[in-house]
Amino acid sequence: MNIDMIILDSVTKKFGGFAAVDNVSYTIQKGESFALLGPNGAGKTTIVRMLLDFIKPSSGSITINGRPASDPESRKHIGYIAEQHMIPPYLSGFEYLSRHASLIGLSGKDAAKEVDRVLEIVAMQGPERKKSATYSRGMQQRIGLGAALLGQPMLLILDEPITGLDPIGIRDVRKILENLRGQGVTVILNSHLLSEVEKTCETAAILYKGKILIKDTITAIVKDNETLEDVFIRYIEHENE
Amino acid sequence: MNNVIKITIYTILDQMRHKSFYVLLGLSILFILMIRGCYDGGYTVNGKMVDTATVAWHVSKIVFHLIAAGMFLMVSMLSMKIFSRDHADGSTVMFLARSVFRWQYILGRVTGTWALCLVFMFILHLTIFLTVWVKTGTVIPGYLTASLVCSINLLFVIACVCFLSLFMPDFISAFFTMGLLFVGFLSDGGYQIINSDIVRSAVPVSTNGGPALWRVLYPKVFMLQAYADAIISKSEFHNMGPFHPLLNLSFFILLILMLMLGCFNRKEI
Repeated sequence: MNIDMIILDSVTKKFGGFAAVDNVSYTIQKGESFALLGPNGAGKTTIVRMLLDFIKPSSGSITINGRPASDPESRKHIGYIAEQHMIPPYLSGFEYLSRHASLIGLSGKDAAKEVDRVLEIVAMQGPERKKSATYSRGMQQRIGLGAALLGQPMLLILDEPITGLDPIGIRDVRKILENLRGQGVTVILNSHLLSEVEKTCETAAILYKGKILIKDTITAIVKDNETLEDVFIRYIEHENE
Repeated sequence: MNNVIKITIYTILDQMRHKSFYVLLGLSILFILMIRGCYDGGYTVNGKMVDTATVAWHVSKIVFHLIAAGMFLMVSMLSMKIFSRDHADGSTVMFLARSVFRWQYILGRVTGTWALCLVFMFILHLTIFLTVWVKTGTVIPGYLTASLVCSINLLFVIACVCFLSLFMPDFISAFFTMGLLFVGFLSDGGYQIINSDIVRSAVPVSTNGGPALWRVLYPKVFMLQAYADAIISKSEFHNMGPFHPLLNLSFFILLILMLMLGCFNRKEI
């Protein structure tokens, strides 16, 4: 049975007179791996920020797991990693993850065990006690991904998660996403790396100037002898004509 | 554990990571201990020798207010960067991407900063209290109670600076708050002077009208200091208007916190 995890209903977000997201409606089902694609400024990050209630829609409504996005309870089972994920420089990776663990309600040995688990997944065992100010961009991104994975979330929102990662890091993220897919976790992936999206996601939407051009399964979007990149460029060029 | 308590603890821990915190505390205690010399001097007023206990009592009262004034500056500096620093280093996202209400975040940050400054000020006042006790054998009753009463002023300053920092640059928000305090200092200070025993005995009391309404309703930071002074001196407290300064400030703190929450709820992260 299909259960709706996210429902966007006629969502519009305007900054002044400019509509960053324009009357967008779509539904993402539980367990779906969904990619949000679009060129820079298409409105992908704006949608993610509205999902997390960092900004309010100008009109329309967003529901996450049956609750309005404005209700903090809707974020109880969400893991999120931001594009250019930032960690307070005075915290070590371990402290940062421990705080996240505490905020999702874990404490004591449970929290320590969970932090160790995600540190292993994101391959950050070793430098986890160093201050994050000493971390490279990729290491910060790994810790950010670890924070998103804490507490086995039902929904994972990944905004450009592979920014700053080396090829090994990118491969690790792909493996993590493949594992999560097997566990029935809903994933929303914002990424420019279309080859990665093709490998890790089942469905995708192409967003351009705040509007959804197409939303379907990747197998339905990508025709024979084409790649997702070909389809993406074809759609964007068609809109530019 | 409640999210407010968690964020309060994080706020205290994060502020205490800075070495400057300990340097400032150490220097302040050192400065206070240096004042011990004042208790040893022989003082003559109107040809009469003043005993050590009286000297200690007066000096302690002056230092009490100096510490409070210094704390106003310190809390302004600490509070003005709370939101901008959290935004810049990812702390805001860290909290609000979880199931944390925005009011919990604000209350946690404000309470944490207040608790830290309250303890800082209390340690300094306690140092004075103990120094006087050890040096002269005099216990100043009410000194530590007065310190706790004054901590309400710190909460007001924190709330005010944080609220203003949502609209204006950090430094300007602190500067603006200092301006607010200064106006209160002139208004309430003038009232205290006019009602002091010395002025009353020298100048006949004018009964024509009370203070202007804005002065009665203005945040009574200085008046609360005067109240704390009265607690230490066990003297009469000359209040301005019908509202006790504790009530006045509690009202302003609640009002500012509610306005801050309203504005922060609309703020884009």
